[in-house]
Parts: sequence; structure tokens; C-alpha cells
Amino acid sequence: MNEFLQRLNALSWDACSQWLVLIPSGVMLLAAAAAAALRNLIHAALCLTLSFIALGIVFIALGAEFVGLVQLLVYVGAVAMLIVFAILLTRPSDLAGAKSPFAGLGPVGGILTGAGLLVALLAFIFSSPVAKTALPPAPVAPVAKIGELLMGSYIVPLQVVGVLLTAALIGAAVLAMEDKQP
Amino acid sequence: MTLQILLAVSAVLFAFGLVAALTRRNAIMVLIGIELMMGAGNLNFIAFWRFSAHPEALTGILFAIFSIAVAAAEAAVGLAIIILVHRRIKSANVDDANQLKG
Repeated sequence: MNEFLQRLNALSWDACSQWLVLIPSGVMLLAAAAAAALRNLIHAALCLTLSFIALGIVFIALGAEFVGLVQLLVYVGAVAMLIVFAILLTRPSDLAGAKSPFAGLGPVGGILTGAGLLVALLAFIFSSPVAKTALPPAPVAPVAKIGELLMGSYIVPLQVVGVLLTAALIGAAVLAMEDKQP
Repeated sequence: MTLQILLAVSAVLFAFGLVAALTRRNAIMVLIGIELMMGAGNLNFIAFWRFSAHPEALTGILFAIFSIAVAAAEAAVGLAIIILVHRRIKSANVDDANQLKG
């Protein structure tokens, strides 16, 4: 009886975790398509946020809890906020002269490029033997191990990323500063 | 579930981002497309880590963390540039920003 319960538990967890990946993936793709196609910038930004939330859930369901939470904090908390603020700061001009939301000759060239790339990528993915790997047992990614690695073998990249973030944020503040001289 | 499904999802997400970045007129939409492509890249890192023979090395996870940090820096600078361009030429459309002169 106990063994049966354990087996049932494992089975339902496997099926469950598969759907935990597939359903957020579908939501993510729908939201991304809406973000790419919607006319209204605020709606596009909100769809982008939804897409990021679903991507974070996919990461968590794949066993990368830390990356999923970082994704939620950084993208949903910071990047989406920045985008909404930038839309609010640049909004009036867009309402005034928005004939078409598409640049240049219209969407045809870009859509053809994207579709061509997608066909090439999918053909490669579905013909590659590497991509047929079955799902291995769930790996563990404890946060303590990630911290040890970041403070150990990955200390140089970590410092470089710190310098990059500092320089980027100071640069962004300097760029967006008001010009004092007329 | 196989690696194919995740890679296909990531490829479709990348294509959406590419189409958004190539076709949209507003510079913020171009940035949104770039963020979508970054997300597709991160999904690939995590997918290959999940299906790798040595997941205990955590390489994919660490690469994804660094990639997210770089994406945050890129978004901050990109939006600052968009705001600066909007202040100079009173437009956030990429078609209007056609001069190097400030």
C-alpha cells in the first residue's frame, strides 16, 4: 500500500511537472506574440510582463528555482517597471503621429526574416540527435552551492558583472540627466 | 518530455522577439523585442542544463544568472538612450532618429 502510494506520488509528480513546464510555456508564447503585435505600448509592456512571469515559472518547474526567482525579481520587478516608466515619459509623441506601428516598408521584411530563422532553427532542432535526449532525473541546484561557486570559481566574472552594472547605471543616469546649459 | 520541446519553445520565442525588434516603429518596442530574445537565450541555458549529463556543475544556471545581469544593464542604458533621443528630437520612433547630429 505504502509502495503503491509512493509510486502514484512519483507518477503524478512527473506528469504534473511536465504540465508545469508546458502550460506556462504556452502562456509565455501567447503573451510574447501579443507583446510583439499589440498596437498599444502599455498593453505590449503588460503582455511582456506576463511573458516574463510565465518564463520564471518555467525555470522553477525545470528545477532552477534560483534563476526563476531572479528572473521574477529582475525582469518583472525592475525591467518591466523601467519600460513602463519609459513609455509614460515618451508617450505624447507616439499618440500624435502614429500612423502605423511598423517601421520603414512595413512588417513584411521583418516577418519573413523571423519566419525564415524559425524554420531553419526548428528544422535543425528536430533533426538533431542531441535534442532527443530523454528527461534525466531532476537535478538539485541548492542556493548554497550557487553561492559557493559565485564566491569561488566564478569570482572574477561576478566582479566584472558588478563593474558592468555600476558603469551601466551611472551611464544611464548621466545620459538621462537634464542638460543644464541652454 | 524531451529537449526538443523546450528548444522549439525557445526558438519560437526568439522569432517573436526578432520580428518585434525588426518591424516595430517605436524604439521601446524594439527594446521589448530584444528582451524577448534574451529570455529565449536564458531558456536555452536552463534547458541544456536540465538535460545535461553533469547538472551538478551548475554551469547553465550560473551562465543564466550572468546573462540576466547583463540584460538588466542593457535595458537600463537602452531606456536612458530612448529618453535622451526623445528629449532631443521629440519622438521615440526609430525612423525619426536618422541623424548622427545631436
